[in-house]
Amino acid sequence: MSPPKNPNLHSSKLANELILSLVVLGVLALLPAFVQSPYWLGVLIVSMYFAIMSSGWNLLAGYAGQFSLAPAAFAMLGGYSTGLFFYHLKAPLWIGLPMAIIIPGIIGLVLGRIVLRLSGAYLALTTLSFAEIMRLIIYNSIDFTRGDQGLNVPGLLDDRLAYYYIFLVSLAIVVGLVYWILRMPLGRFLQALRDDEIGAASRGVNVVRCKTIAFFVSCAICGFAGGLYGTFARLVSPELGLIAQTGLVIAMVVIGGMGTLVGPLIGALLVYTASEFLRDVGGIQMIVFSFLVIIFARYFREGLWGLVRRGFDRRGGRGPGGGQPPDGRSNLAAKRGA
Amino acid sequence: MLALDLFVNGLIIGLYYALMAVGLSMIFGILKVVNFAHGEFYMVGAYAYTLISLNLGVSPWLALPIAAAAGGAIGWLTERWLMRPLYTGYGSWGLMKDEYAVVVTFGLSLLLINLFDKVIGPYPMRGPALSDVTRMSIGPFMMSGHKLITAGLAIVLIVGLALFIKRSLWGRQIQAVAQNRLGASIAGIDTARASCIVFVASGVLAAIAGALLAPVINPAPDVGIFPAIKSYVIVVIGGMGSIPGSIVAALILGVLESFGAVYLSYDYRDTYGLVLLILILLFRPQGLFGERSREV
Repeated sequence: MSPPKNPNLHSSKLANELILSLVVLGVLALLPAFVQSPYWLGVLIVSMYFAIMSSGWNLLAGYAGQFSLAPAAFAMLGGYSTGLFFYHLKAPLWIGLPMAIIIPGIIGLVLGRIVLRLSGAYLALTTLSFAEIMRLIIYNSIDFTRGDQGLNVPGLLDDRLAYYYIFLVSLAIVVGLVYWILRMPLGRFLQALRDDEIGAASRGVNVVRCKTIAFFVSCAICGFAGGLYGTFARLVSPELGLIAQTGLVIAMVVIGGMGTLVGPLIGALLVYTASEFLRDVGGIQMIVFSFLVIIFARYFREGLWGLVRRGFDRRGGRGPGGGQPPDGRSNLAAKRGA
Repeated sequence: MLALDLFVNGLIIGLYYALMAVGLSMIFGILKVVNFAHGEFYMVGAYAYTLISLNLGVSPWLALPIAAAAGGAIGWLTERWLMRPLYTGYGSWGLMKDEYAVVVTFGLSLLLINLFDKVIGPYPMRGPALSDVTRMSIGPFMMSGHKLITAGLAIVLIVGLALFIKRSLWGRQIQAVAQNRLGASIAGIDTARASCIVFVASGVLAAIAGALLAPVINPAPDVGIFPAIKSYVIVVIGGMGSIPGSIVAALILGVLESFGAVYLSYDYRDTYGLVLLILILLFRPQGLFGERSREV
């Protein structure tokens, strides 16, 4: 990277984050060489499911500032789009999976239009109610969705390793899509309306269009994650849309770094694999994560990636020189700073 | 006859809802944030009451104030530790304050649920009743002694709170801060103390609601989620930040639910309130009783 470039520019920040995302994805691609047990491959697959969902939610909440509490509900809708098409129409997966993108996307578009004027606490409450209504409808309309018994979904493949790479490629596509959107003027518009909606509108940003697109893309990504997960688990159930699942997504994004490209990736992978270890310790994973979320939101607002970057800025002797000392992860920063 | 019975029962349920919703409404009034951990204040109260009176052999009448104190303490801690940054220089932070409040209170809610789940266990317990009389008749109504006593206590608490807010010095200071935080602080009011009082009071009220309902709801770690969602609906219907509005809305919702569970579909009973919440937020965000002028 050429040194005279201002490291605080949006595009160079984003480029740094893209490089780190590619490193993370590369590590994931090599991981099956060391991890052979089907159990741990499964854990990594589920953590990639959460990474896709976190990236989608982060686009909406972290970049566009629309703090929706419904990502898990959209994953559930995606799973059920695939499941219901198969259950009622015997539609094959090449129809069912695109439906998991299109239907949640359209529902997200409508939701986005409806909540256009709401913000903050009002938006959080509305999306939370929407999520609960969707879950209750699916849970209670037993004739159509089989209620809490869930729906059986056919799998794409039987081989777990192949599934691992399907998830990895999907994750890479989603990260690429988010990066592409952020590079566009739209990406800057989204951040502008997050920081100051009235200000952005006064400078000619089409707030309505930007918000609606953000809702559409984010909800479509979450739906896609849910649809893909349904074919992996061979089952979709209303539990996919529990509020606790949304809590997990928020935990991952806040711990990894909200409003950054790589934060949700780091957060989802670390939180989910760590939760498998903590489960062995005695099922304390949710206690640890909810505590960490409070600590990160309270004291380290930029998440793990923010801590890494601050350590990196310090070593390079530039940037505002944050008050936090580089933590144990500074070897990562050192690798990039060399 | 059935209709009258349902009406009275609905009013009593509405009183418990009011205890919860008033605190939530006051918090919104003074900080403009929604406390997503409010249901867990209720859960803490129910557990404190049940565990103390069952394990220490203390009379439930003594356990009740202890549960209230536990709720107040947790409200105070929440305010001091998590809410202070909302009004002491959040401007420079990456996230905006609304999102910060959602994240930390959501996190706190998950933390308390899972902590209680791990420490005390996921199994529901049975709280002791305040009175041994199981059935007595008052005029045409049959009800348990516990229900009668708790309904009376709830009325006393709500009236007491209303008097406190309307008449006392601290109550008037709280009103001033809710109307205009900056103006109140210029007039010499300690806004931090006002926020603190509001959080302690709402913690106490939610914990008492939990304790009073402990014999009915059978405390379990996730027992607070349901009444919390009810309180959001009530606070939105009553107008966010309006205390009389939320009391009236709580009574209305209690009565409506009591009738709806009998005359309408039981399976979808939770959906109606949520649909109502979305509709009101969209078309009448100031609520049914809220004031028209809202800070944008």
